[in-house]
Amino acid sequence: MRLSPRRDAHALAGAYALDALDTAERDRFERHLRGCRACQAEVRGFAATAASLARAASIEPPPGLKERVLAAAAVTRQLPPDVTVPAAGESRRRRDATAPAMRSPWVPRLALAVGGAGLVAAAVLGYVTVSTQNQLTTTQSQSQELAAVLTAPDARISSGSTSAGGTATVVASPSEGKMVFTSAGMEALPSSKVYQMWFLGPGNPRSAGLVPPASVNGSTPPVLAAGLENGDKVAVTVEPAGGTSQPTTTPVVVLTLPA
Amino acid sequence: MYVVEVHAMDPFRSAPDAAKQGEPDLDSLLALVARGDQDAFETVYDRMAGPVFGVIRRVLRDPAQSEEVAQEVLLEVWRTASRFDRAKGTAATWVLTIAHRRAIDRVRSETAAAEREQRSASAPMPAALDEVAETVEASLEAERVRRCMDGLTELQRESITLAYYSGYSYPQVASLLDVALGTIKTRIRDGLIRLRDCLGVS
Repeated sequence: MRLSPRRDAHALAGAYALDALDTAERDRFERHLRGCRACQAEVRGFAATAASLARAASIEPPPGLKERVLAAAAVTRQLPPDVTVPAAGESRRRRDATAPAMRSPWVPRLALAVGGAGLVAAAVLGYVTVSTQNQLTTTQSQSQELAAVLTAPDARISSGSTSAGGTATVVASPSEGKMVFTSAGMEALPSSKVYQMWFLGPGNPRSAGLVPPASVNGSTPPVLAAGLENGDKVAVTVEPAGGTSQPTTTPVVVLTLPA
Repeated sequence: MYVVEVHAMDPFRSAPDAAKQGEPDLDSLLALVARGDQDAFETVYDRMAGPVFGVIRRVLRDPAQSEEVAQEVLLEVWRTASRFDRAKGTAATWVLTIAHRRAIDRVRSETAAAEREQRSASAPMPAALDEVAETVEASLEAERVRRCMDGLTELQRESITLAYYSGYSYPQVASLLDVALGTIKTRIRDGLIRLRDCLGVS
């Protein structure tokens, strides 16, 4: 029946507005919400209602909080507005032509943007910063997408050593449905082979794309992969160049994301 | 002092924000904050810290943890002001949505749960609901909400209170009230519809 899933999703609008869904259901409902105007309107009204419940609970904040918040704000860089960027190559060319001064590497800016919050992401950023400071080719739109994952409130990090040497690190945001993967010190492969990433869920492994080639210092630039489902593990296997639809070798690493 | 919303003139700007005459509303303040205006942020703090801390405290109970989360939330408002989207609701709703969600995140994170247990073993019992309610600053808004809550069925009221103020997921609410999952989902939604209409928000 076509109506019932929609009606069911509709019924969740209330629980969603009260933050009474678990993460998996919240993600599912948010995906539904993007395409459901009626739900958007309902959630807007429910959120305003919930805000009234919050105001009804208002109490005097503790002394000293204000000073601490204002002091923290004074040293915290703000996120830039979320503007739609043109196609990556185009945008870079234009910037090259008109504003060379803006061609700063994205990583330091990211690191600043996270300041104060996104503790998990900040932890990995120190690492990412080191491993990618020469990656000037990363485009603006990519960096914004990476930033969205790294600074997502539900961002979580998992890191582990691989049987191919070195370490693999993942920052994942189930709410964004994406992860950022980076590695350092994994052994170089012949050109006929690649490292391929996989999401491991209840069904067959789902390809999360190929690990980009490592730079001279042996680290791979952070790469974004979409399609992450809540509860997925992330694995890396060695596959023939171009990748495969299903893994053909034993993973060199399997990373479990903290709940 | 928090200023209570009086009435919703424009259904899309049912704002509690535009209360004080001659002062910019919270939506405009947030636009200034997004441009790095620290004075505007201080005003936003003055207007929102009470409800932010209040709702977090209501959910978490533990004063120290609540203060920590409130600080994170208010800093997040500063940091992400440019991402506030008027189309999704008023600035106050945006801020309070973040506050409640962060409190819930804290409840659901296991380490925090362990910490809480540890603390409650050594600390006195958390303040009872009524005790906290007595310190409520925005008494008019509290009164209005209480009146509208009275218009709900008992199941609707209990479901919403347990979910929003106590931070339970709806399956947990269903279990606490010994009611089927589907029923709780519906009661929460029906209750919110009634509450929304009674409060005159949209």
